[in-house]
Amino acid sequence: MYDMNKQETAVTQKEIKFSARDVQVYYGDAHAIKDVSVELEDKTVTAFIGPSGCGKSSFLRCLNRMNDTIDICRVEGDIKLDGEDIYHKAVDPVQLRARVGMVFQKPNPFPKSIYDNVAYGPRIHGLARTKADLDEIVEKALRRGAIWDEVKDRLSAPGTGLSGGQQQRLCIARAVATEPEVLLMDEPCSALDPIATAQVEELIDELRKSYSLVIVTHSMQQAARVSQKTAFFHLGSLVEYGETAQIFTNPVDERTESYITGRIG
Amino acid sequence: MSDVMSNPGRGLQTQDARARRRHRAEVRFRAYGVMAIATGLILLVILLGTIVSNGTGAFRQAFVEIDVYLDPAKLDKKGNRDIADIKKVSTFGYAPLAQQALLAEIEARGIETPLRKAKEMKNLLSSSAAAQMRDLVIAQPEMIGQTVSFRLLASSRVDGYLKGRVMRENIAKDKNISVEQLDLTDALIQAGVITSGFNMAFITGSDASESRPEQAGIGVSMLGSLFMMVVVLVLSLPIGVAASIYLEEFAPKNRLTDLIEVNISNLAAVPSIVFGILGLAVFIQFAHLPQSAPLVGGLVLTLMTLPTVIISTRAALKAVPPSIRDAALGVGASKMQSVFHHVLPLAMPGILTGTILGLAQALGETAPLLLIGMVGYVATNYPGGLASGFLDPNSAMPAQIYEWAKRADPAFYERAWGGIMILLAFLLMMNIIAILLRRRFERRW
Ligand SMILES: Nc1ncnc2c1ncn2[C@@H]1O[C@H](COP(=O)(O)OP(=O)(O)O)[C@@H](O)[C@H]1O
Ligand SMILES: [Mg+2]
Repeated sequence: MYDMNKQETAVTQKEIKFSARDVQVYYGDAHAIKDVSVELEDKTVTAFIGPSGCGKSSFLRCLNRMNDTIDICRVEGDIKLDGEDIYHKAVDPVQLRARVGMVFQKPNPFPKSIYDNVAYGPRIHGLARTKADLDEIVEKALRRGAIWDEVKDRLSAPGTGLSGGQQQRLCIARAVATEPEVLLMDEPCSALDPIATAQVEELIDELRKSYSLVIVTHSMQQAARVSQKTAFFHLGSLVEYGETAQIFTNPVDERTESYITGRIG
Repeated sequence: MSDVMSNPGRGLQTQDARARRRHRAEVRFRAYGVMAIATGLILLVILLGTIVSNGTGAFRQAFVEIDVYLDPAKLDKKGNRDIADIKKVSTFGYAPLAQQALLAEIEARGIETPLRKAKEMKNLLSSSAAAQMRDLVIAQPEMIGQTVSFRLLASSRVDGYLKGRVMRENIAKDKNISVEQLDLTDALIQAGVITSGFNMAFITGSDASESRPEQAGIGVSMLGSLFMMVVVLVLSLPIGVAASIYLEEFAPKNRLTDLIEVNISNLAAVPSIVFGILGLAVFIQFAHLPQSAPLVGGLVLTLMTLPTVIISTRAALKAVPPSIRDAALGVGASKMQSVFHHVLPLAMPGILTGTILGLAQALGETAPLLLIGMVGYVATNYPGGLASGFLDPNSAMPAQIYEWAKRADPAFYERAWGGIMILLAFLLMMNIIAILLRRRFERRW
């Protein structure tokens, strides 16, 4: 078996973007994430799957320290982005979040114009020096969000007036406008219809060229369609992590198999 | 389908007993609602009707229009037109001139009256008529020696007679008016000497002494209220909003903040007179701020308004969906940026409405003003400047109304109602502003 397979792994071997070691998350006394260690690759879509309540979102939110905003939440362990500990005292979570963007489950555009939605991040981070710069950044982000053609004639219209699928793509455009290195998506399609979902999935595949993406999803088909790596969580633990194809066709752990075949979840 | 056919008792178009009972209950409930609203409306109409019927009188005033010869022999005995000497002549020097002018007018028009003496004209004219003339002479001393047309205030009895407040049957014991004088008043009205007109002085003037209700106006206390509102707005809006933002967005949730929260809610229910006595002790007796000053009144009302502002601001902040905060933090905004760029603008309509309602409440507050001496006869005219507006003794609209209602002369009672009308107009205006601001800031998208 010294063959194709091994060579292929060698070719696709990518840099490690995030590496997490023995991560614990507590909400008050509740232990939501237990001993999770994982290494996420750059320019890869990693899917987090598992039954609801198993801690997918909790772990995802550790990666850009959004858990900091929850008073009772406590994170232990060691998470490194490009080798730097993101929970180090000297790290400003705001700077971290500029590098690690996030797209939420429910589309949440600001109640401002489409333009201002996308321009907000670049503005507060000082990415554009002139109005023309900013226009360019906004256009580029909207193109990347695969929504430019639909909104280019009404950039000053409210972002909240778009359809659900458009709003979610606007949120993705907003997230990429700040030029993050990693994009975290927490069930980005759960509020969308199948057509909008397909559009977002296509977009995710496109974004993989430039970013490292982590997507939490309820739908195993979606995970299979868009991701290269899959992590299966169960009751707060990371049960299995590996190539998506392998997880779906040949899972090692029987809990993974049960979940994939629909026996738990 | 066939079930329904075979069982007509459960058809969709026939009601069973349960449905009928439910409908009857619904109809009854609606009737109660309509009744409650109708009662409320009727009471409101009665209230407004009473206020308007009692208060409109204050906005009309009887005037005596006569030509007065400003006699140099009386007003400038030395004849040198020296302003210092002219000022030495008090209103007592002017009153006879007006009385004589009125008598001359009566004779010129051939009006029959048993009243032949100038002194007997006194009760027709307001005692402030002399002051009106004196003010003109001091402003323009060159008028001395000329005959000038004046529109002098009629006395409150004549004014009341025109409005139906003073009646012939009731004046037997009244020293300030006689039946003959009322006969003469009738004749003078006929002749167009006594006229009734819009009473601008009621809106712009200051309070007057007990014997001159016809001169009393609410203008100066309106300014007192205005200066207090400035203090309240300038203090309670920033303090209240800052406190709310801190408590709502930044403060850790622990025992201490819980305690603060409970106390703020309780403070909102503390009777306003408690704040009044607190203000007396702290601002006047301890800090030695001037008594009766709008600054102190404003400080006291700020204490009273702050809990309202904080509670409504926190409610407005709470109503902003958390997903907006997440969105801002998600693109790398700091906590403060997320609050000031996104949360606060969305909460603005609620904050402004709460603040204006708090201000309106403060505007109508009387009790705490009693304790810091902002109620009572304030004989001042307009404050000379900004500083004196805040520091000179003044009253406030509700306190002025209370003061008038307390006085014996029914003419003051009428002014109290008139004052209520103005106060209500201001409150209405503030509510309209609140609505407009809401509309302006509310982006419905
Ligand atoms: N803000 C929170 N406060 C308290 N408990 C929470 C909070 N968020 C999540 N949890 C708990 O943590 C566990 C994991 O939740 P979550 O990460 O949302 O799961 P998933 O995204 O996989 O459905 C659940 O038991 C949930 O009840
Ligand atoms: Mg989740």
